[in-house]
Amino acid sequence: MTAPEKPEPAEITSIVQDTLDTKTFTVRYLDKERQKSFRFVPGKFMMVSIFGFGEMPISISSSPYKTDSIKFTVVNVGNVTNAMHGLKEGDLVGLRGPFGNGFPLQKMRKKNILFVAGGCGLAPLRSAIYAVQEKKQEFGKVFVLSGCRTPQNALFSGEKEQWKSDGFNVFSTVDKADSGWKSNVGLVTSLFPKIDLPVENTIALLCGPPIMVHFALIELAKKGFKDEQMFASMERMMQCGIGYCSHCNIGDKYVCKDGPVFSAKELKNMPVKED
Amino acid sequence: MSHAIKKESLPEFLESLKKNFEVIVPAKNASGASCFQEYEGQELFLSARTDFSPKKYFRPPNEKTFSFTKETSSYDIAEETDKTKRVIFGVRPCDTHALDALDELFIKFLGEDGFYSERRKNTVIIALQCPEACKTGFCTSLGTSKPIGHDLLFIERGQDFFARPETAQGRALLDKKFFRSTSDAEPSTRIKCSKELETKNLAENLHKNFSHPVWAKEAERCLSCTNCTQACPTCYCYTTCDDFEFGSNSESARSRLPDSCQLKRFTLVAGNHVFRESRTARLRQFVLHKLSYYKKNHGKQLCVGCGRCISACPAKIDLAFIANTIQKEALKQ
Repeated sequence: MTAPEKPEPAEITSIVQDTLDTKTFTVRYLDKERQKSFRFVPGKFMMVSIFGFGEMPISISSSPYKTDSIKFTVVNVGNVTNAMHGLKEGDLVGLRGPFGNGFPLQKMRKKNILFVAGGCGLAPLRSAIYAVQEKKQEFGKVFVLSGCRTPQNALFSGEKEQWKSDGFNVFSTVDKADSGWKSNVGLVTSLFPKIDLPVENTIALLCGPPIMVHFALIELAKKGFKDEQMFASMERMMQCGIGYCSHCNIGDKYVCKDGPVFSAKELKNMPVKED
Repeated sequence: MSHAIKKESLPEFLESLKKNFEVIVPAKNASGASCFQEYEGQELFLSARTDFSPKKYFRPPNEKTFSFTKETSSYDIAEETDKTKRVIFGVRPCDTHALDALDELFIKFLGEDGFYSERRKNTVIIALQCPEACKTGFCTSLGTSKPIGHDLLFIERGQDFFARPETAQGRALLDKKFFRSTSDAEPSTRIKCSKELETKNLAENLHKNFSHPVWAKEAERCLSCTNCTQACPTCYCYTTCDDFEFGSNSESARSRLPDSCQLKRFTLVAGNHVFRESRTARLRQFVLHKLSYYKKNHGKQLCVGCGRCISACPAKIDLAFIANTIQKEALKQ
């Protein structure tokens, strides 16, 4: 019998506290062969089970070229994420997936890449950033723009320095600065004047809260980006990840199997804002 | 050559099936609602379609998807299946179409959902033709007034039921002890619903009229009680829940529980963001899923015209009225 919702056990091998409310978990399947054959496209997500608490969709935040383990960057915001934050190294979780379509790497080849992240939206984008970093010569200029609430919420600060030294243009902004913050203050769209790219040869990848994605798409369109050049990863409630439970419906699309990455062109035909 | 069974022999026939099957029949429950239940000699409810469909025998309200036991270094994860052999008697044509529509998603779409397909395989369906149209139904508009995918069809005539087998499983039930051969012509199965739903370009027209004022106007009365989604024979949306047992080596389980798009928490994500905040958006999701989205994705209407959502609604919200309002304007243009 096919039981599509049966997870496979995996072990947490390390935990990094990224910010006050965010941790990155490195996870490995107990079944070594399963881990060996594990492949994914950046932007895909997995259904992560915390036994006794439930299951949730989490994007993979590690490199598609390093698949001996899987990384999930998780903000503590709900029941299951809270339970996951209570786990320690050696504890077990359940995995299903990877699910979804992922970012359009084929379309990104030979193009300049603009990453726009809001809050923990940088996590799924990091996987794509790694993919671009790995094959730098195949891509043009790279811009990484990320925004978050306060400097304490800034994700992957150490790695951003690494990306800069690899020649990426990395800019950060916060909604509310503190005395130590030296970069930009304002929404992520306030970083857009820094985008110094020939727009027609650029692909933009976005991930963040719905309201951020909404306005970022509008602002990018003003800069000349066409709908086919912009891709956003959408967030919805999910219970199954495989098109059964219908929680992630946006119109006739399922975020779990048709997405989570949609082009701005597709999004225009979807009732993203329903009220 | 057709087969026929005397109405008075029906209890005995059903009783005889219990040897090999769990026998499910339409009958009234303690609170007076007609639904499907195990046959124990009780009076059958055959005068009209039941208040509730036999959905629960294919998508049970609490379905264990797997159990897990914490062991020292791992979890022992086991799936559970329902292998009960069942006969469901008295399934109305609309409800056979409901199963046919669900087959698209749970068997043919992305690969099988084992829980659903096992139940489907292990269930023999004896359909029962409606002698006349029901008040809230509009099956004749949707082409769901004749049964589909059943094993055996019963058609009422006078003191008899005509029986027409459709599958080997259905034919196997025609025990000579109860059924006689007859050369009489089969009674007509044609009915005509007084309620109608215009289906021309329905899916497209509804989708195009996403912002039509009728949504908000009807949703004003909505109480978000979820009666519609519970009564609907095709509503399948579910949430999952871990049933956790404390103590080492005790078995816990994850289950699918029915969920309703009429509830706010259906689209609640972390950070307390709700995507379908208004009742308008939630009512529209229900109607469009039934009449537009599913058709586009799976080629079949998810609404079978049984009218249960209409008769179950305490606010008298009518899916067919909403669709017809939009259709009238759209088809005029």
